[in-house]
Amino acid sequence: MTANEKVPFLLDLQTTSSQDEIAAIRSLYQKELQSNKVNPQTKFDYAYTLIKSGLKKDHEAGLQLLHELYKENPARRRECLYYLSIGNYKLANYVEARKFNEILLQIEPRNAQSLKLRELIDNRVRTDGLVGMAIVGGVVAAASIALAAFFGSSKKP
Amino acid sequence: MNVASDIEATFKLLLIGDSGTGKSSLLLRFTDDAWLQPDEVAATIGVDFKVKTMEINEKKYKLTIWDTAGQERFRTLTSSYYRGAQGVIMVYDVTQRESFDHLTTWFNELDTYSSNPSWKEGEAFAKRMGTLFIEASAKTRAGVKEAFLEVVRKIIETPDLYQKPAGNRAPTNVVNLDAQNENAEGGGCC
Repeated sequence: MTANEKVPFLLDLQTTSSQDEIAAIRSLYQKELQSNKVNPQTKFDYAYTLIKSGLKKDHEAGLQLLHELYKENPARRRECLYYLSIGNYKLANYVEARKFNEILLQIEPRNAQSLKLRELIDNRVRTDGLVGMAIVGGVVAAASIALAAFFGSSKKP
Repeated sequence: MNVASDIEATFKLLLIGDSGTGKSSLLLRFTDDAWLQPDEVAATIGVDFKVKTMEINEKKYKLTIWDTAGQERFRTLTSSYYRGAQGVIMVYDVTQRESFDHLTTWFNELDTYSSNPSWKEGEAFAKRMGTLFIEASAKTRAGVKEAFLEVVRKIIETPDLYQKPAGNRAPTNVVNLDAQNENAEGGGCC
């Protein structure tokens, strides 16, 4: 078993929507927007297509739409929470990602996709935390070397 | 030792069918041999994915199984995953007549989104040969492994499905699976 297979696999994180897909759904959404008749389905399709994009600006736009949908459409809250968490995860906003996913888990404690997402977020926070510690550790080490050098040199006549 | 080199072939399977018919439960039984009470199961959001290795005639096959949400609202998302599948398991619930009637819709869905002309042939083939029907229960385990085994066997028997370069593949083997839910011990079908 490779290390990769031990990490939970979430399809929504591994697949990227193409720019063609995004352009197609965007033009439909904008057409509906102009005629003031936005179908919630179009908005939702557009939102998750953006979340699955490879570009940060798309993730941000997708999150904005999901926030709106969450308020406008209570029946779609669970999927909004899920994609809000995924979008924030992709933007490395792990606190936000965790927040939305935990709300979903309160409603559905056995949601397998959500449990995988929790593990991924926790893994990432742990890894990033360790990297942070290593950097701090490195700084401390560098400072002691500088001090040693300083004291070392001060001993010189 | 490299485990990957033992794998004879990798197959992509799709689970499709109405919401609540038990696609995820069947998959959970197949991959993890587990069962969740209906009130513990959350409807799949978009598409979920599991991997399982299966041994047939002393050869190992890696199955990547795409578990799609049955809800209409995810249709655009899920249909984008149809491409490249070698096998499709269509699931209906024996206690929900509607979910059986909708199989035609799911056939059409595949026809539209797999956007591959040879799928029509596959469908015709499936109809001519009599699509495989297997009754299974995720709760009791009955028929679950057999259903997956049957699809994989069919794929192996049709090397054209997986020996062509990716992109030319068309799903031609369809297994209609009726997922007997917990209320339907021994329900009949077809």
